[in-house]
Amino acid sequence: MTTLLYTHPACLEHDTGFGHPECPARLTAILNTLRTAPFAALEWRDVPQATVEQLTRIHPQGYVERIFARIPRRGNVALDGDTILSPQSGEAALRAAGAVCAAVDAIVQREASNAFCAIRPPGHHAEPTQAMGFCLFANAAIGAAHARAVHGLERVAVIDFDVHHGNGTQAALEHDPGYLYISTHQAYIYPGTGRRDERGIGNVVNIPLLAGSGSTDLRHVWRHEIEPALRDFQPRLILISAGFDAHHMDPLAELNFSEDDYAWLTQQILAVAAECCEGRVVSVLEGGYSLPALAASVAAHVKALMEAPRAAQRSLIKGILERQKTRRNAAGS
Amino acid sequence: MYEFLKYEVRDAMTADPIAIGPDTRLREVEELFESHDFNGVPVVDDRRHLLGILTKFDLLKAFSLDAHALVPHYDTIMEQPAAAVMTRDPVSVEPRLPLSRLLQKLVEMRTKSLPVVENDRLVGIIAREDVLKALRRATIQHEIPIHEDSPS
Repeated sequence: MTTLLYTHPACLEHDTGFGHPECPARLTAILNTLRTAPFAALEWRDVPQATVEQLTRIHPQGYVERIFARIPRRGNVALDGDTILSPQSGEAALRAAGAVCAAVDAIVQREASNAFCAIRPPGHHAEPTQAMGFCLFANAAIGAAHARAVHGLERVAVIDFDVHHGNGTQAALEHDPGYLYISTHQAYIYPGTGRRDERGIGNVVNIPLLAGSGSTDLRHVWRHEIEPALRDFQPRLILISAGFDAHHMDPLAELNFSEDDYAWLTQQILAVAAECCEGRVVSVLEGGYSLPALAASVAAHVKALMEAPRAAQRSLIKGILERQKTRRNAAGS
Repeated sequence: MYEFLKYEVRDAMTADPIAIGPDTRLREVEELFESHDFNGVPVVDDRRHLLGILTKFDLLKAFSLDAHALVPHYDTIMEQPAAAVMTRDPVSVEPRLPLSRLLQKLVEMRTKSLPVVENDRLVGIIAREDVLKALRRATIQHEIPIHEDSPS
């Protein structure tokens, strides 16, 4: 059992224009790293395009149509100052959301212990009817809705450690008790949401961190807020909105996480997943704008995913044996 | 140093300083900083009532990360009016304030300059350099050298 890697060449074709920080080179840097020897055990998977049905669980059909109507034949179109469309953006966005749904399918069906979706455009700022902050469709929320609708999972948690608050994911999930959304983010920066008192229907945990916060603060909020909230909720699947812009070298924020912090946090999430949901974790790329820091942080994150706790492995093996038994029984009858 | 104690702000300040209106674009303010050696410029209304002060620090601050945009955009920010980023109700001093007091204020506030206001109107600006110059001027002729080993 290994970790699945979902990515698609179309995600490299989403062109945000000269000098834009959310650039194809981000994904190239990540994929180049994941092609090296330590990651040989990753199972690379191509991804289908998200279906209208998958998208419209979160976004009204009119919104999806509006986005596609704005896609230019050539050059760039700006939806706002920073959210840019190019001719290939539509396919990239469909592959991005499709990757998360495909990963959810594979993980729920126990094809692997966990998965990482190396995709762009990112998704967590996209609200049901508003593209913003580099994001078109709310990839993680779409995956969470897919898990509930198709696989009947009663409770799905999304942990968002991108340095910016995931206003889109929150807006999409905060009215349904079947979801838990937990976000750590830097206070007072974009998009300005994510205050502690935004609690949804009691299913949203916002943990704003002050500029300069780092490893110690992360460990503190994990122990006192994230882990207890997760355990209380007992998710059947955990999605991670994995942005790596809280890294101390990132140019768009002022938190001070390191690669080791991302590895540590991933291990903690996996340990809870092993206890609550047979280790089922689907991680989805969000931000991260220093290329070297991004590549190193993703490497640390994916390495931790690949070394998922033994508990998760054991429960997986149990599941496989059960399935084989069922199949044998079915064949025998 | 005794001479310095007699100085007042009005003896060292730059009188009738260049000032800008609240609608001046940041782009023009930056040009002003480029062409003059200002660290800050007072913002006044038509009757030279002091509304605020806009320093290089305020200009930098306009580019710091906030909730409005993921990435601060140069052109958008530089089109903003002075009123949007200036420091309002700035600390000011009166022309008759002893310069020694003013020096103390600059040190305590770690600020580079202060506007000088009389009868509600801007009449000057006083900066670190002005005080340093006044110190030099006050002591150059009048300071009596102290010799520790002076003959008894």
